[in-house]
Amino acid sequence: MTKRQGRLFFIICTLVSAIAFIGLTFDSHRRFPGLTNEDKLTPEIIRGKDVWHNSNCINCHTLLGEGGYYAPDLTKVTQQRGTPYLTAFLKDPSQFYSEEKHRRLMPNPKLSDTEISEVIAFLDWVGHIDNQGWPPRPIIVSGTTIPGTDVGQPPTHASVSTDPVAQGEALFRSSPPACNACHSIAPGVNLAGPTLAGLATRATAIVASPEYKGEAKTSADYIRESITHPSVYLVPGAMYSANNQSFMPDNFATDLEPRQIDSLVAYLETLK
Amino acid sequence: MRYRSQSIAYWYFAIAMCLFGLQLVFGLLSASKYLGPDPLLDFLPFDKTKAIHTNLLIVWVLTGFMGATYYVVPEESRSEIYSVKLAYIQLVAWTLMGVTAIVGYMFGWTAGNKMLEQPFPLKIVIVIVMLMFLYNILMTIKRAGRWTVTEGVLVAGLALAAVLYLPALIEYENYTVSIFYRWWTIHLWVEGVWEMIQGGLLAYLLIRLSGADREVMEKWLYVIVGLVFMAGILGTAHHYYWVGVPHYWLPIGGFFSALEPVALLGMAMYAYFAMRRAGFSHPNSLAVHWTIGSTVFTVFGAGLLGFAHTWPSVNKWTHGTLITAMHGHGAFYGAYAMTVLAIISYTLPHLTSDRKVEGNSIGYWAFWMQVMGMFGMTLSFGTAGIGQVYLERILGLGYLDTQLKLQVHFLMLIATASVFAIGAALFIWNFFRTAPKSVAAIDPSASAPDLAPAGHASSAGSG
Repeated sequence: MTKRQGRLFFIICTLVSAIAFIGLTFDSHRRFPGLTNEDKLTPEIIRGKDVWHNSNCINCHTLLGEGGYYAPDLTKVTQQRGTPYLTAFLKDPSQFYSEEKHRRLMPNPKLSDTEISEVIAFLDWVGHIDNQGWPPRPIIVSGTTIPGTDVGQPPTHASVSTDPVAQGEALFRSSPPACNACHSIAPGVNLAGPTLAGLATRATAIVASPEYKGEAKTSADYIRESITHPSVYLVPGAMYSANNQSFMPDNFATDLEPRQIDSLVAYLETLK
Repeated sequence: MRYRSQSIAYWYFAIAMCLFGLQLVFGLLSASKYLGPDPLLDFLPFDKTKAIHTNLLIVWVLTGFMGATYYVVPEESRSEIYSVKLAYIQLVAWTLMGVTAIVGYMFGWTAGNKMLEQPFPLKIVIVIVMLMFLYNILMTIKRAGRWTVTEGVLVAGLALAAVLYLPALIEYENYTVSIFYRWWTIHLWVEGVWEMIQGGLLAYLLIRLSGADREVMEKWLYVIVGLVFMAGILGTAHHYYWVGVPHYWLPIGGFFSALEPVALLGMAMYAYFAMRRAGFSHPNSLAVHWTIGSTVFTVFGAGLLGFAHTWPSVNKWTHGTLITAMHGHGAFYGAYAMTVLAIISYTLPHLTSDRKVEGNSIGYWAFWMQVMGMFGMTLSFGTAGIGQVYLERILGLGYLDTQLKLQVHFLMLIATASVFAIGAALFIWNFFRTAPKSVAAIDPSASAPDLAPAGHASSAGSG
């Protein structure tokens, strides 16, 4: 090979790659609006993006898997945590996690109420981008579903049997969002929500206690009410509620069919 | 050293060394935050130390590249630099920009876009500085009326690096589009035009250190840069996984990323065979160590560790974990930090007084401690990353609880990073140990103890 041929090889390789790359870039631009729901990109979301940048969030967290690898990925965070939870968290992260226990803590970002709602709107928009289904399974922030629970059982929508308890258990791991993204069934393991170990026993005690102001008379009623109207009885703790509103999403009454709620209650009642 | 204006390079290298030292301070600070708790949480949390750490890297490596260019171009074009004064003004502006950026980050003045955190006014300063630099270099070449392929590749790489910075100046409303173009700058820098710069500097060093025939070396330089671009340009696709772009980027990324190690292996073979033919007989054996070491570490850090997680079905699980930090450290160090350290090691006996060409034992300690330290750091990040993927992504353990279980890896990281930092400190101390030659003391008739007669340039336009 001569130097001239070497140069020709360089020019051809570079040109072919560059032309292919630019062509694909044009095509990508054609597809961006659909893939990213650009029609839903409101000024509030764009301001939320500025909050995200100005607070340098990306140098600790990752978003769409890109960032600092020092704090949890936030791609789907709004699908795992409701707005009340995220709002309270952003106001004071130290209420939710302990630096003593986890050896790291998010510094208070000192955002105004408007900035908080804007950045949550931004994160919610990011969460709905078509990104080929990543992450392949939900990334949990803290806690564990491991000890003695359901390790190795993938979420499934298929009914495992006609038994309502078995159906409820399957739903517990798969209803959108999965209950077990926030609740463990291992004693003492509190994730974003309190552990549900011993729920039925605790429910009986709660409905009998004077603090309880709801309408449930039995533990099954109480569990049903907690799913459909999470704010009727608030489990104590600043990490679970604020301003008399539970951080648990309140969409289950409408998003689940009555039959599904029945089977969930049937399953949760077995946690004694 | 034949040209007085080559002494500009010393001051660029001196600034690069200071920033390199500072980069490691912020690196060690960030690493200690993995262990926690963090007493500096409210003043200097991880996001700031990390942004400063990565920005200092980019700034000092670019300072080194520019210094190297000021050293290489006069020899290749057989001419003094067009304006020495402009070169120094450029260095002052560049350094002020770097220092302002770091202080700004400490007080929350940031654009908050990973690696492109520079606030907009500073981005404009960067563009102006790059234009000053390119003007000075191109005018030098124009006035001399001669250029070589080696310097052509080097200068073209730097010019394209400036062009590819331009997309970073634009605001994008759509976050996915913003990611898309962020990689035009970052990826096409580090896996494209910076490799061109690396190739140009490598060819220069190999011709000087091995006495290899310039025609042969420059022919293969073309081939290697061609391979780098063939794999690297479309290899940008491996940054387009899972970020909201069309799905076809997945197979494209997998295929072209798999080709990237081939180009890098080609570069290492190019260096090794050139040196072997010369019997590794150049007296500046320290520069030979850094030159060969850089190509080998590039194959390891950029090639193999990169390929370890660019295959889409693997990346699906490793994306956004410490596996990326493993690759990032190995790649930047091997390909860029070591290339700059190689050119500094080669030029230092010419730029400073009272220094033996052979180097000293401190120089070898600096080399081996850095190489072993960085190897250990990539292992620490790698093992931490594998643990993270398994516990967090496969088993479903919470992020924070997973990080707690990785503490032993973070201890290993700090231990190996300390070895690396000592090696780097030795290099920096060795650099400043002797004073630079005064310009008056430079004897243009003295020839460098190279194996090849220097300045065997093509005539204008024939390269």
